[in-house]
This record gives sequence, structure tokens and C-alpha cells, in this order.
Amino acid sequence: MNVAGADRNRRLITAGAGTALALVMGLALLAGFRLATQIRSSITALQTASELQTYPSVLTQQLTALRQRLETREYTGQAHEELAGTVARFNSDIRRLTKRSDGQSPQLQDAARMWQAYRPVLAPILAFSGEPYIDTDSGSSLSDGGKMYYGDVRQAQLLAKQNVGRLHRLLTAVTDSLEEQTSGAAARLRELLSGGVLAALVLAAAALYLQLTRARHERVAREAQEQTRDILKTVREGFFLLDADYRIGTVWSEALTHIFGRSDFAGLSFEKLLEDRVPPGTLATAVKYIKLLWGDRAHENLMKSINPLGQLEISMDNGRGGKETRYLQFDFHRVVGPKGGVKHVLCSVGDITSNVLLAKELQEAQENANAQVDMMVGMLHVDPLQLGSFLDTTETGLRLINAILKEPARTDAEFRKKLGGLFRELHSIKGEASALNLMSIAHRVHHLEDTVGELKKKAELSGNDFLPMVLKLDELLAHLRGVREMATRLTALKPGAGSTAEPAAAPSRPTGAHTVRRSGEDLSPILQALAEKLAKDHRKSFRLSLSGLADVPAAYLATVKDCVIQMLRNSAVHGIEPSEARRVQAKADVGAVRVDFRRSSEGYELMFEDDGAGISPQLLKDAAVRKNIITAAEAASMDTRTAMALVFRPGFSTQDEVTMDAGRGVGMDVVARTVYGLGGKIGVSTNPGRFTRFKIVLPPAGEARSGERADRMSGPQGLPPGMASGVA
Amino acid sequence: MLREEELKTFVEGTTNYFEVAAQQPATIGSPYLMEGAPAVHDYTGVISISGKREGVVYFTAPRAMLTVLLMKMQENDFSHETMRDLVGEVANTISGNARRDFGRDFVISVPSVLAGEKPAVSQKPGQRSFIIPINWRSHSAKLIVSLT
Repeated sequence: MNVAGADRNRRLITAGAGTALALVMGLALLAGFRLATQIRSSITALQTASELQTYPSVLTQQLTALRQRLETREYTGQAHEELAGTVARFNSDIRRLTKRSDGQSPQLQDAARMWQAYRPVLAPILAFSGEPYIDTDSGSSLSDGGKMYYGDVRQAQLLAKQNVGRLHRLLTAVTDSLEEQTSGAAARLRELLSGGVLAALVLAAAALYLQLTRARHERVAREAQEQTRDILKTVREGFFLLDADYRIGTVWSEALTHIFGRSDFAGLSFEKLLEDRVPPGTLATAVKYIKLLWGDRAHENLMKSINPLGQLEISMDNGRGGKETRYLQFDFHRVVGPKGGVKHVLCSVGDITSNVLLAKELQEAQENANAQVDMMVGMLHVDPLQLGSFLDTTETGLRLINAILKEPARTDAEFRKKLGGLFRELHSIKGEASALNLMSIAHRVHHLEDTVGELKKKAELSGNDFLPMVLKLDELLAHLRGVREMATRLTALKPGAGSTAEPAAAPSRPTGAHTVRRSGEDLSPILQALAEKLAKDHRKSFRLSLSGLADVPAAYLATVKDCVIQMLRNSAVHGIEPSEARRVQAKADVGAVRVDFRRSSEGYELMFEDDGAGISPQLLKDAAVRKNIITAAEAASMDTRTAMALVFRPGFSTQDEVTMDAGRGVGMDVVARTVYGLGGKIGVSTNPGRFTRFKIVLPPAGEARSGERADRMSGPQGLPPGMASGVA
Repeated sequence: MLREEELKTFVEGTTNYFEVAAQQPATIGSPYLMEGAPAVHDYTGVISISGKREGVVYFTAPRAMLTVLLMKMQENDFSHETMRDLVGEVANTISGNARRDFGRDFVISVPSVLAGEKPAVSQKPGQRSFIIPINWRSHSAKLIVSLT
């Protein structure tokens, strides 16, 4: 039985015993009152009977005395008066006795009847009022009335003398009977009083027992309350009960006050508790979850597994007028009532901020360690000189980005102008990092691209929006420094350090890509490695043929590399179809990508071709409309050549989802601007379903324009001159 | 490592000063990384920070900007000392904001003021240095945060 049940039973027993004892006491008192009344009446009757008992002999004596006085002619007045008084008292007393409810004893009846016999005899005596004597010469003698009076007295005296004994006995018997009655009543009263005293003692004992029991229970309850209070005061979690209206009860642990920085919890709804501290979406989910807990059919363990408040990030006042982020863990347990339904929901809240921060730090440390291992593995595959060149180029790129950021800006337009340049520079760095399989750098740059992408979507830009970017840029520079340091150590460890002949280790070859021929000494390994990675990442199968790359003049190495990397990524993502699709089109399962660099009459010619899906002008127009680059009306009137040129527009991509390799729409834009910046030309031709071919013409190396990087940042937004396009 | 929220605290401390003192909010320009020794303006308020983060925070402003700021504050005294006091006050507000948000984790020094001198900024290992332009009216000051 629970505490509440035992307490209820105890109260019932106390009330029952108290009522019973009160009833007994009441009955005893009532009976005692009746007995006392009876005894009082009996005593009065006894006194009367005792007096009455003396009357027969007194009457006889008084009649005898009256007769003697009459005979001796003495004065009779006083004797007559005394007799009359005795008769009157006799009459009165016997009447009083016979009127009592218990006075109908046979002896009293007999005595009353016998007294009735006295009355006619005594009546003439009592009625006599004249002078009994007359004076004569010979002295006094009885008058006529006196004679009759004397005769009546003598008759009455004889009757009294005759009956005195019997009447006395009868009245004595009445007295005895009354004595007996009184004694009996007194005995009963004693018994009753004894019973009453006993009952009072029992009542007192019971009251004492109940008082002691109550005191003990109160002490236990008080101790339990104190213990509960101590627990609620000491426990580090916030505890409270929610009722069916999702409101907090009247008791909660002190930790709750510290966690939420308030103390007015009584009657506060759960929604109000979290309002303004969590995002509206989270709050709505939390409230829905609480409502679910009240469902009888909800399984508690299942409910626990879907608890949306297992790690809740909330914003709190830090007590110094500022805000701070804390992490709370809510846990819920249903409290089932005696009839089986959910009575309350017990909520526990723990501040797990330090745990979460520690876990985050551990995760970051783990990720950093993993990234370092990945980076080291990636670096082992890269020629140290290539790596050094990449790091130099990247650092230069990042300094260019910082220079873009440093440009003074106050208006939205000025801030927005920076984004295009940032995008192009980052994309170029990411391409090179991916090509060298330095994924920790590629991912960081990708995140920076994400940040720039978010800024592009903002309606109004300000300097505050650039704070996250500058922090990430700093992180990336710090990471590059780490990579450079690691590269230096690795170079020192390698036998024949400083040699450019062989990469540190041969890359494992994924099944998707196949190499036909390697001709370029410097660019080929990077491009082949990138092709293998792209084939693996995009589950495509194609072979990359490279020719003439060994002849790329040093001045064009970076440009050719950037351009081929971008076009290779485009082929892997958009061009080459999956093997199944190629089979349906009666194409070879393995796609072919060809890169050819050669001297030409105009200087140099870089040809890039894949036998993939080609480019559909209509698809280009649809994507451009979708991305708000052109309007539907412009698309409708656009000829094929102009539509094909869309691939070089900034921000254009046929892919809606952004991935590491496509979707931002900056790749071909960068290629075109770089080529244009060098004074070259770029053209694209395609046959949908058959091939895509890019042809880049570069001037002789000595005639190339300078400021290649700067052109990436700030070229015109339209189609650069020298750009050709067409559909075969 | 210095976090975005912490950087924002210093930025807000600075822009709030202009909003309260001159009833005209300042905006921030495009932030960038500090490369080499920063070019400072005529007056520079310096706060040294230790504890959870180590380093310095500078607020550096040109005399012209401070003069206009004093005029907006109904001040008639444009002396060298007043300029110094004003920059010190901005630095003090930045420091107060940081104390409010960071509490006991940060030990923040009483601001000092440099006038016409270059502060000895040396970037220690692990320190991140950012320059945040503070634009107010047509003038521009700089908030330089260099912390671990």
C-alpha cells in the first residue's frame, strides 16, 4: 500500500474509533442521568415512606390521648389539631406514593386500601368543631356533641389500635421495597459510572495512541519531506512534473532555477518555459512530443528514442547582460496513476554544455587528426615540387581573396561585387586541390564557396556578413601552413629529396578510369589522378588520353592545368554517361576523353573532347531560365550559338545541386576569362548524344597578356570576345 | 581559437559606442586578414587580453573622424588630450562589452592610448589577426583584433 492509502486508512480508523467511543460515552451519560433521576425519586419516596411508617402508631397514640382527655374532661383542642395534621400528612404522603409510576406495589395498595377504611371513621372526628363539654354543678360533663365526638374517637381509637400493627407492617414493607429499588439503582449507577470511566480511559488511551501514531507519521512525513527537499536542493538536474495541461507543478528542484535563471515555474506551461530560447520550429516539435507522451498507447522506450530534446541548444542570459549558448538534455518519464492512466510526466533537465563542448572539441580533434592523416596520404602521392607549386599558387590565390576583401566597401553593390571574384578564385584553388587529391584543402575551399553562395542569396549585404568568411579564410591559411610544414618534413624523409622525377608513391588505380597514353611529364600524373578520382566519385567509366602536354610552355602550365581540370570535371559530371546508358545508345561502355595540346599557326591549340552526351542548347536555355540568368522570352528568341555560349556565363550550371565538382556555375566562366585574359580564344562545338569539344587557342607564349589572375577577378560579365560556339 | 561570436562582440562594442555617443550608428566594412604590421591612424586605443584568449584589440581612428564625433557630442574642446580621451572611451566601451559577454574567462586590461605612434603588433603563433573597417559618416576607422 502506498503512503497516501495508509494515511487514508489511519484517518478512517481514528474517526471510527472516536465516534464509537463518543457514542458509548453518550449512552452511558444518558443512562446515568436517568438512573440518577430514578434514585432521586426513590430517595424522596423512601423518605416519604419512612415518615408514613410512623403515622399508624402516632395516629393511635393521638386517638388514645384524645379519648383520655375527653374522659378526664381536659382540653382537647391541641390533641384534635395534632390528629388533624397527622391525618392530613398521612393523606398527602400516601397519595404521593401511590402516584409514582413504580409505586404500585401490593403492600402500598393494601396500605392505601386500609387507610381508606380509616377515613369514614376519622371524618366525623375531624369535622367536629363544637365544645365537647358543658359545665354543670357537679362539674364538667360531655355535651351531646361531645358524647358523639367521644364515641367517634373511641371507635376510631379501637380501629387504629386494631390495625396499627398491620398497617405498620405494610408501610414497612413499602419502605423496604423502596430501599431495595434505590439500592439497585445506585448499584446500576455505580456500574454505569465504572463503565463510563472505563470508556473514558479507553477513549483517552485511544486518543493518546492515535496522537502518538499521528505524531510518528507526521515525523516520518516531515522527514520524508525534508529528504525530498534535500534531494531537490542538491540534485544537479532540474526536476519537475507536468500536468495534463502541460503545466509545471508546484514542486521542482533548485537546479531548475539555476538552469533557466528564473523561479516562477508554478503553473508555467512547457511552451512558455522554452519560448524565446529555442527556434520556433524546435519549440513546435518539443510541444508535439510532450503531447504524445500523454497518449496511453505510446511506448515509453520508443518515445525515448525519438526524444527531440535530447540535446537542445538554447540561448540564455549570461547574468551580465549578455547571451550565451547552453546545451540542455531533457528526459521524460510518465507517472502512471492508480487507475493506470498517465497522471503526470516527470521531466528531468540537465545542463550538458561542458559535455557537448568537450565532445565537439574531441570531434574536431579527431577530424583534424583524420584530416592530417588523409592529407599526409594524399601528399605522399604528389610530387613534392608539384605540391610546393600548388601551395604557392594557393597562397597567392588566398592573398588575392584577402585583397578582394580589403577593397573598401560600404554599399550592397560594393559588397556584392566582391562575390564573383571570390567565387572564381576559390573554384580555381578547389580544382587544383582536387586534382592533387588534397581533399582536406578542397573541402575547406568548398565550405568557403558555400559561404559565398549563402551571401549571394542575401537581399542586402553588409560587412557583418563577411565575418564568417574571413574567419574561414584564416583557417584555410593556417591549414595551408600546416600542409607546407608537413610537406617539408615529408620531403626531408624521402630518399633523394627534392627530385621531381617520381611522385612519392604510385596511386592505386580505380576500376573506372583507364589510361591509354601518358605524354605529359608534369601535368599528366595530376590529370590522370584527377580522372581516376572523378570516375570513382561519379561512378563513371572513361579513359583519358593526353598528348602534347609535355610541350606546354611554362608560362601556360597553370592555365592549361586549370582549364583541363575544369573541363575534365564537366565531362565526368555532365558529359560521360553511365555505362548502361552508353550501351543503350550503342556506344562503348568505357567513355573516351581526349586532350591534345599542340603548336599551331596562331600559337598553341588545346583541344578537349569527350564522347559523352554532348550539350543540348534547349537544356542550356531551360537551366538558364531556371537560374534567372535569362528570361523565358530571351530563351525563346535565343539562337543556338548564343545558347551554347551560356556555358561561359558566370553562375551558370545545368545542375541544381551543388557538389564538390559542379553546380556553382563558375568553372567554365573561369576558363573563358583566363583564356581571354591571355589574349586567347575559346570555342565549343557539340553533337548532342555524340560529343562535346572545346578548342582553346593561345597566343605564342611571349605574346600572352600579363595579369592572368587579375583578369579572373574582374572581367566583363558578358561573353568575352574571341569566344566561338556551335552545334555540329 | 577565436570564434565568430567573440569577434562580433568586439565589433558590436565599437559600433554601439557610435550609436549611443553620437546617435548615429557606425557600419562595418569588409573585414580582412591582417598581413604584416597594420597601418594605424592618428589615435589608437589598445586593450590587452589574457586568459582564455591571448592578444590585443586596437581601435584606431583618424583625427578628422574624432573631431566630427566630438562635434556630434556637443564638445568644443578638440585638443590632443580630448582626442586621446575619446579613443580611450571607445576602447573602454569595447572592453566593457567583452567583459559582459565573456565574463571571467577573459582578463581584459585597462585601455591605453597611443597617439601618432605605431603599436608594437607582433603576431604570435596561433594568433588570428583581423582588421574590421568601422565606417561612420564619410570617415573610416579600424578595429584590429589579434587573438589566439
